[in-house]
Amino acid sequence: MSQGWLPLITLATSLLVAPLILLLPERAWRARAVLNLSAALLKLLLVGLMVVGLYQGREFAFGFTVVPGVEFLLRVDALGMMFAGLSSLLWLATTVYAIGYLEDSPNRKRFFAFFSLCVASTTGIALAGNFFTFLLFYELLTLSTYPLVVHRGHSAALAAGTVYLRYTLSGGLVLLLGVVALHALVGDVTFGEREMLRDLGPEYHSLLIGLFLVLLLGLGVKAALVPLHGWLPRAMVAPAPVSALLHAVAVVKAGAFGIVRLVYDVYGIQLTFELGLLTLLTALSVFTILYASLRALAQQELKPRLAYSTISQVSYIVLGISLFGPFGTIAGLAHIMHQGLMKVTLFYCAGNYAEELGIHRIDEMNGAGRRMPLTSLAFTVGALGMIGLPPVAGFISKWYLGVGAVQAGMPWVIGVLVASSLLNAAYFLPILHRLWFRAGPEHGKGQWPEERRLGRFETSGWLLWPTLATAVFSLLAGLLAGVPFSPLDLATLVATEEYLP
Amino acid sequence: MSSLFDVLPATLPVLLAVLVLLDRRLLRACSLFVLFALTVALTWWRLGFIWLALLETLLGAVLTGAFLFHALGISPARGASPARPSHGQDPVPLIWRRTLIHLIPVLALMGMLAAALASLPASDSSPAVRWSGLVLVGLGLWAFALHTHLLRRLLAFNITGTGIFLLLMTLVGETTTAAGQGLVITGLAVALLGTALGALLIRRLDALAPSQQPSPVNGRQVS
Amino acid sequence: MIERLGLVTTQLPTTGSSMMTLLVVLLPLLLGMLGGAWRPWRGWPGLVVALLSLLALVWLTQQIATHGTQAWVLDLGTLTLHWRANGLTLLLLLLTQLLVLASAAYAPAYLCDAVQARGRGPAWLWPLMGLLATSLSLIWLAADLLSLYIGLELMGLTAVGLMLLPGREEALAAGMRYLLLALIGSLAFLLGVALLLGGWGRLDLAGLAEAVEPGPLLWVAMALLSAGLLLKAAAFPLHAWLAPVHGSAWTPVSALHAALVIKASFFIALQLWLVLAPRAAMAAWLVGGMGAAAVVWGGLLAWRADKLKDVVAWSTVSQLGYLLIAFPLLIGTSQAVVSIAWGGVWLQLLAHSLAKAAMFLAVGNLMLATGESRVSGLAGASRRFPLSLLSFGIAAISLVGLPPSAGFTAKWLLLHASLAAGQWPWLVVLALGTLLSAAYMFRVFRYSFVEDVELQDYRPVPLRMDLIAMALALASLLLGLTASWPLAILAIAGGVP
Repeated sequence: MSQGWLPLITLATSLLVAPLILLLPERAWRARAVLNLSAALLKLLLVGLMVVGLYQGREFAFGFTVVPGVEFLLRVDALGMMFAGLSSLLWLATTVYAIGYLEDSPNRKRFFAFFSLCVASTTGIALAGNFFTFLLFYELLTLSTYPLVVHRGHSAALAAGTVYLRYTLSGGLVLLLGVVALHALVGDVTFGEREMLRDLGPEYHSLLIGLFLVLLLGLGVKAALVPLHGWLPRAMVAPAPVSALLHAVAVVKAGAFGIVRLVYDVYGIQLTFELGLLTLLTALSVFTILYASLRALAQQELKPRLAYSTISQVSYIVLGISLFGPFGTIAGLAHIMHQGLMKVTLFYCAGNYAEELGIHRIDEMNGAGRRMPLTSLAFTVGALGMIGLPPVAGFISKWYLGVGAVQAGMPWVIGVLVASSLLNAAYFLPILHRLWFRAGPEHGKGQWPEERRLGRFETSGWLLWPTLATAVFSLLAGLLAGVPFSPLDLATLVATEEYLP
Repeated sequence: MSSLFDVLPATLPVLLAVLVLLDRRLLRACSLFVLFALTVALTWWRLGFIWLALLETLLGAVLTGAFLFHALGISPARGASPARPSHGQDPVPLIWRRTLIHLIPVLALMGMLAAALASLPASDSSPAVRWSGLVLVGLGLWAFALHTHLLRRLLAFNITGTGIFLLLMTLVGETTTAAGQGLVITGLAVALLGTALGALLIRRLDALAPSQQPSPVNGRQVS
Repeated sequence: MIERLGLVTTQLPTTGSSMMTLLVVLLPLLLGMLGGAWRPWRGWPGLVVALLSLLALVWLTQQIATHGTQAWVLDLGTLTLHWRANGLTLLLLLLTQLLVLASAAYAPAYLCDAVQARGRGPAWLWPLMGLLATSLSLIWLAADLLSLYIGLELMGLTAVGLMLLPGREEALAAGMRYLLLALIGSLAFLLGVALLLGGWGRLDLAGLAEAVEPGPLLWVAMALLSAGLLLKAAAFPLHAWLAPVHGSAWTPVSALHAALVIKASFFIALQLWLVLAPRAAMAAWLVGGMGAAAVVWGGLLAWRADKLKDVVAWSTVSQLGYLLIAFPLLIGTSQAVVSIAWGGVWLQLLAHSLAKAAMFLAVGNLMLATGESRVSGLAGASRRFPLSLLSFGIAAISLVGLPPSAGFTAKWLLLHASLAAGQWPWLVVLALGTLLSAAYMFRVFRYSFVEDVELQDYRPVPLRMDLIAMALALASLLLGLTASWPLAILAIAGGVP
């Protein structure tokens, strides 16, 4: 129980910001921006400290008993740190972006308060040391994202919010039932205590399979596994920073991260394999990948296309987990980070186009590359990464996935990867073509739907810099994959722990 | 003739209760209720509970009666003013089918109670009082379900309460008389307070309701 | 089981704890009388004095933690009354004092600035509130049926009186209906007590627990007692009176009623079952079934309700269903199940009381501020009254049972207990209840986030009223993670055998 304060303070940085923001008056936007940014920076610093400590083999844990037999536990491990690192990094970027995006719009106080709560829940999910704590923050995430989804307050937003709640609250409830059942079966399971379930005799196996399915159902809603994905495309009505956050870090990732925890830290990959559940996961993720890609192809608007792309990409994580062997694991875990960086870039770009030029539909994007070169460059990086071209981070994920598939004795998965990459290309390349090679308003043909001159550069600096930063990060994560502290390195650390006892 | 002396105090309240509950004129029903309370006081005295007899006279007959008359709009200062038409008739006429339908659940309850009482040793001093208590409970509940007029429901409630008190005091043994008396005294006080509150409410409702129409609560199915 | 209720004890009370208990019971009444005489438009001086009884409670907790459960036998001639104080009693006393204090602090501002109530009504509020606190304390402390009966009747009549105070016609009509039902309920209770007294010749719970034997007499008596109490607690088929009563009552009164008065009837019912019929599993399942129906039906009613206060009132019916599930979980089950469910039930009671009081106060604020009593009148509220809405939201979290609220922790324990007992139906009921409560709570929020609405005139309520609602809501939220604290109080002095 050494240095338990560090995870707690990390959590508090964003948790305590929420009431502080609520106390500030609505018009004090400078104070709010300073508060937000300093908290985000502080958190990034603390996470960095914990990552360094982790490499030095130090233990960080904080816990207390809630009711007899149930403990609230925050604990630092490599897997959690990956997620925490991602969320704190992207929080900083998204905060900057959101300040620019929401300039002069109403209800900013409410937005930023719940935004902080949302990030606090994500951090909590990353640091949770057992399923009870995980569940706590998982549900808190639902609650704190709802006001963000309905932020605009028009009827489409409210309807989307209702759908969102229907899905996530039901999912949370199913998860709760599963967690309680698990608790009733073996007591409090600290993540990593895989032996507790393994040591149950074979007579429990059917029960364990049932439990796994219940838990998967609960987690699958947020991870947007088909057919539980219905809420995600609708939640697109939210403001761009929220979409970015929902897709890249918070909600979808929380679900995927939960599945990772379930497979690696509760059941253990060995037991999951023996129960035959990995095959199920493979089938589920392959189906999701292909189905969502096809649906993405059919979308005519930018944000829904990105949404379906998210559904497909997040399933790569699940696919990676389901491939029995270290390479699959590495691919799945690294993709948590990679997909986050790339997808957040794409959403920022979509937001920039919408804010600066009023572009929502894909056929309005002709020639936008000339008007907004930097944004379009960032978009190109993200899109190429999604397709899986080197040297963007997405390539690393797909490479490891392929190797993992061979290692797991499922070479047909490579076929799926190829098909999916082709589909990705089919829905991203036309956009790139329109951006760079078609003549548009900037070439004197037609005009932008709603052009605004937001800043000195191609758009407001608040919007531009985060976009570029995340694009550069997605490039770096690919280029410097072999360097210590890179996503791949952390993923390798986790995989080694999992497979080499 | 001792059996007659036993039976008469026990049957008289039942007869009066029937009259109270079924009388068409509310003013007469309330007067009869005072008489009913006095006979119950007599029963208490016969059973040897002097304190209860006194309290019944004071709380049950005098004060409850006063509040009932108050609800009718009659006060000693103004003398007997004729009751308003809305109080004279019932909004829902008593028809036989309704009467019988409401009787069924009450009879079921009575059966249950009788079964429970059958497993107890018979009252040594006053078996008749126990049965009259039981009948009063049934009558009161039946009338409570049957009537929609608020004042009639208050009357029915008071009669059920009295039945329970009678039943209770025939059930207590030598050692527990004090506990039984405690319960009954509390019950009497509650009944009085409830009646008082109800009477005041009826007055306020009448005052608030438009003067010529029957007050709105009278016609409403309560519960 | 009667050990958990603190009915088995040989401890003689210390003089200090007797004095303190008396102080806790009587001080609210005294303050209420004074308040009635002076009609405080500012609550603070009275509140400072009222804090005394909280301090007394803390001291009492200390005493009981060291000396064990305290039992009093009061001899009044041939009549004996039994009182006891153990962990559970203390917890409930604490809850009562806190909530009455909060309502009392809320009331002056509410009456003065908001309702602008005149006439005799406000003067009656204070003594009645004090009397309510006293009668509730009596119920928590009572260990014999006579004391319970006195407490129950006192509480019932006081509650009716409080509900009538607004003096408007709909309040009077609803109050009259409530009065008649409460009176019938108490008659059923008295009849049940009479049968018990006739059958076994005693009224103290500890003695009855040993003496009673199953048979038709016990069953009829239990049926009567339960029917009377459940009627007063607005349990499922007997719940119709609740919403009209709340609809026209003053906000602080509604808060007290939903948080405490209804719980008192539930508490007595559960206590009687545990003492008199601790093995009657079948009958307990029947009560549990009623609870299940209440959860679903109350939830549906709340969902369909048009008025804000009706939503909150019907949600009480639904939430009480959760508590009724305690019967099958505590009666006729193994020791392991009981030890989980015991904490869950009382935690649920605490959570619901705090959250529901907070919610009533918050709804009162919202209604005053918007001048609207309908749910759709809240359009745009999230921008104009963020604090009231936030209190409402936090209370809603606890009512729905989402983490990290006390409602969640309680639900966790109840779910765990049902699993441990192998009673699957309750899992379904709890799950359904969660979904339904989420549905009706978020329906309210949905309206509050509507942006495109013209500005109607509204007036902000005094900050104090918002803060009190917020404090209660936060208490219900924070109890979730600090649940070990109330459970520790529950466990002291014979709480766990």
